Amino acid sequence: MSDNGRVRVSIVGVVIVALFCALFARLWFLQVGTDAEARVEATTRTTRVVQSEMPRGRILDRNGVELVTNRTSWAITVDRGLPEEERMVVLGQLGELLGVASEELAENFDDVQQSPLKPAVVAFDVAEPIRIAILEHIDSYPGTRVERLTVRQYPGLLANETPLASHLLGYVGEISGDQLAERVDEGYVGGDTIGRSGVERAYEDDLRGEPRRETLEVDPTGSPVGSPVDVEPGHVGHDVYLTIDANWQRAAEESLAQGIEAARTIQNENVVEGYEELKAPAGSVVVLDARDGSVAAMASYPTYDPRAFVDGISQIEWDLLGLPDLHNPLLNRASQGEYDPGSTFKLVSSVAMTRYGIRGAGQWFDDNGHVEIRGTDFQNAGRQALGSVDLTQAISKSSDVYYYTGGFEFWKLWKAGETERGLGMQTVAREFGFGATTGVELDETDGRIPDPDQKRELSYAINEGDAREKNATWFPADQIYMAIGQSVLVSPLQLANAYVSFANGGTLFEPRLGLQVADVDGNVLRTVESTVVRQLEFDPYVRAQMLSGFNGAVQDDSGTASAPFAGFPLDAIPVAGKTGTAQVAGKGDTSLFVGWFPANNPQYIVAAVVEEGGRGAQVAAPIVRRVIEAMNNIDVATPVEVLDEARD
Amino acid sequence: MATITLAPGAATRRRDDATSPLRHVDLVLLMLPFAISALGLLMIYSSSRTRLGANGVSELYYVQRQGIAIVIGVIAMVVVMLVDYRRLRDLWALAYIAILPLLLGVLVVGASRKGAQAWFDIGPLQFQPSEIAKLSIIVAVAGYCHAHRGDLDAWRLATAVVMAALVIGLVLMQNDLGSAAVLLVCAGAVLVVAGIRPHHLAVLLLLGITAVGAVVVTGTLDDYQIDRLSGFIDQSPDGTASEQTQSEYNLEQSKNAIVAGGLDGEGLFNGTNTKLSYVPEQHTDFIFTVVGEEFGFIGGATVIGLFGLLAWRLWRIALLSSDFFGTLVVMGVLAMFSFQVFENIGMTMGIMPITGLPLPFMSYGGSAIIASFMAIGLALNVHMRRFT
Repeated sequence: MSDNGRVRVSIVGVVIVALFCALFARLWFLQVGTDAEARVEATTRTTRVVQSEMPRGRILDRNGVELVTNRTSWAITVDRGLPEEERMVVLGQLGELLGVASEELAENFDDVQQSPLKPAVVAFDVAEPIRIAILEHIDSYPGTRVERLTVRQYPGLLANETPLASHLLGYVGEISGDQLAERVDEGYVGGDTIGRSGVERAYEDDLRGEPRRETLEVDPTGSPVGSPVDVEPGHVGHDVYLTIDANWQRAAEESLAQGIEAARTIQNENVVEGYEELKAPAGSVVVLDARDGSVAAMASYPTYDPRAFVDGISQIEWDLLGLPDLHNPLLNRASQGEYDPGSTFKLVSSVAMTRYGIRGAGQWFDDNGHVEIRGTDFQNAGRQALGSVDLTQAISKSSDVYYYTGGFEFWKLWKAGETERGLGMQTVAREFGFGATTGVELDETDGRIPDPDQKRELSYAINEGDAREKNATWFPADQIYMAIGQSVLVSPLQLANAYVSFANGGTLFEPRLGLQVADVDGNVLRTVESTVVRQLEFDPYVRAQMLSGFNGAVQDDSGTASAPFAGFPLDAIPVAGKTGTAQVAGKGDTSLFVGWFPANNPQYIVAAVVEEGGRGAQVAAPIVRRVIEAMNNIDVATPVEVLDEARD
Repeated sequence: MATITLAPGAATRRRDDATSPLRHVDLVLLMLPFAISALGLLMIYSSSRTRLGANGVSELYYVQRQGIAIVIGVIAMVVVMLVDYRRLRDLWALAYIAILPLLLGVLVVGASRKGAQAWFDIGPLQFQPSEIAKLSIIVAVAGYCHAHRGDLDAWRLATAVVMAALVIGLVLMQNDLGSAAVLLVCAGAVLVVAGIRPHHLAVLLLLGITAVGAVVVTGTLDDYQIDRLSGFIDQSPDGTASEQTQSEYNLEQSKNAIVAGGLDGEGLFNGTNTKLSYVPEQHTDFIFTVVGEEFGFIGGATVIGLFGLLAWRLWRIALLSSDFFGTLVVMGVLAMFSFQVFENIGMTMGIMPITGLPLPFMSYGGSAIIASFMAIGLALNVHMRRFT
């Protein structure tokens, strides 16, 4: 190389040495020459607490079977502060990436169910290649972030693919303004998730856990400086174990659905002209443990899919749930439905008639199929004469005339001024828990027990002028119909719970769903105890006679529920129960059945109510039978078999 | 059994030959890219694992992809080493012409990112032709100058300048200001060593300054490019968030991270700014801030030192080269690395404006890794053949 070349190479070398020296000098100045602590302090003025929710606890059945768990969902969020034009561009690009219309993403962005405080979730359950694509080209998606969300998952699915026990489990959603105002002291902040119904709401405090709180120092621009100065780690939510048995719950829900679907194929015998099938739009099943009042299963039909709420339910979905044709699937009919109990109410009438000296348990009564009281003809079903019946047979054969006449006697006492005895049936009904909420951890109705005051009040509330006083009068028919369970309103849960107290000898419990609460490691933190509401007193002879009647209803050939239990192994598993068929103004009859087993040492009460489901023995009793079969591990391959006709 | 003897003669002879290229591989230079790349992988992992994890992507996603690029780079380096560089001496025009369609093509069908349209999307991979253009311009200008050795008159200089300007112009049209600057420096360094006359150099510098002035005044630059330049000039940290431009913010976060490192750093995986992803583009352009925060001055100085060692070995090869073409090529490579290291590390510390240039061997990015290994391969090629 020429000398000139060497000189030139050397000159370039010197320049490069100078550049590297500059880098060293600058690095020294920044890292060793600057007092880092002082610098951080100088820019730090305030602190800010950032709170993040921990995963909710699980909900499990009594055996530890998972009913609700959590899963991770990767979502794409878009900043709400993004200018609209830019947002449209970003949504367009995201739509292209996700293979969906950008309008769909825009709809999600504007979804009113989403928190206005958080970035809007535009897509859920985003696959990894798409997450990578966004991450790699994040500059092309301003305001876009991939976020890990923890959402509720329902491991148990029914045959129709909807989750098990959706009504009693309930759903979660974003905390509302009112709830927030109420619970702000408990550490809730806007945008938090909260249980909106069912067990999710009832056990919110256990399931929620403690959010993680980080106290960050922020500089004047609001950006965090350094590591958090304080961290409260929080903890995940506690697991809630329910008294429910997942297998029985499944049997209850599927038997109910099968029974209702089958009911829609049989003739409505009340329609005389032409042929019409039962409508059977809805129903419910309740299974209670007679020994402690705990709920072993609770089903309501039609059901809904709580997964629709996972990503914040859209307005359209919400409106759909309210359509009359769908029969309000969100309603938990087991605790919120109100029905005339029909003959199942004879539990109350029987106790009242014996206690208040209307008719003794061993006293025989001649039932010739109908009775005329003050010019009105009151009839048995089908005007069937049952002959000479005592209390046992009045129950097993379901004699209405027996109770019509009893009801009239009550009315006469009331009319004569003997108010306490005259309204004895109302007193007994209240003792059994009717007319008041049961205390279960769910939304429920208190039902209605008709009495003279209540009738007057009602009349004045709904009528005008002369009609007010005219309809305020407590007529004989009011008490007579009440004796056979008409014009009383009960929830299926109240009904089953009343039978619990009869079956166990008189203890009325608050039904409960909670069994225990455990932390994430399985340590039991607390056990939910049974609460006794009151102790009912039964005359042992009367109770024995009644029990014999409930036995006969299922086990005797003349019993009203003998047909639906034909072929059932009653020798091995003796079942007792009571059918009910309630007339409803303008609608088909309500089909009811309350059964229990073992008959003389009751452990479980199973009640079924089907709206416009025909006679009690036709639809409700076959459903109960199937549930009892499942509870006793009797496998039956065929769906619930409803009866074309029945006498009850 | 017949013994088959594989004709060992040729190999043995070559190994015994004192001038055999394989006996003269610069092992120090060969090891440096591996050392720096390994550190780079660790830093990429440290800076991206939290963010990747938070997005449900494997924490090793970038590390794996970078690893693949390094393997390809090493293969490319070996290929470049095996072909005698002096064959390029006569094929420089081909090296030049081959890059033009790539640079033109990327303007038509290329993918746009970070404001620059500089990538070909090939399935899951991206290819950035401007990285290869750096090697191409070095070989082309060196080849042209070598062909007219020692006699760069005005006409020949003008030809060389137009040749370089065409490539630089195409890269500028991609909006890739940083790469254009590197190309300019590479071509300039080769011309200086090749014997550009001082008064010609002065004229070119004047023309250059005028051109830059014209570009700024006429507003050919995008807003963000002006931001980057002005953000570099005014570094007072008093602006509120809304007044602060993106570049000012980047620079402040970057400097904060380095300052936080202090003398011995916060420790691997312990950098607060790094973990919380305060520094943008940290696994790519701002990778040095991870070293600065987690390993402090000791780590940062080590990295600069490793690049210094690399520069010294390249400079040494330029002097040792058996021919002038080799000197020119290696000086071009030296200028390329030195300028990128200075610009990249300098911008993270606020002494150079922010451009999208990667730190060689460390920043995440496949094309740059491969081009860098190929450049080292060229230099090793020159070194190992200095006696043949």
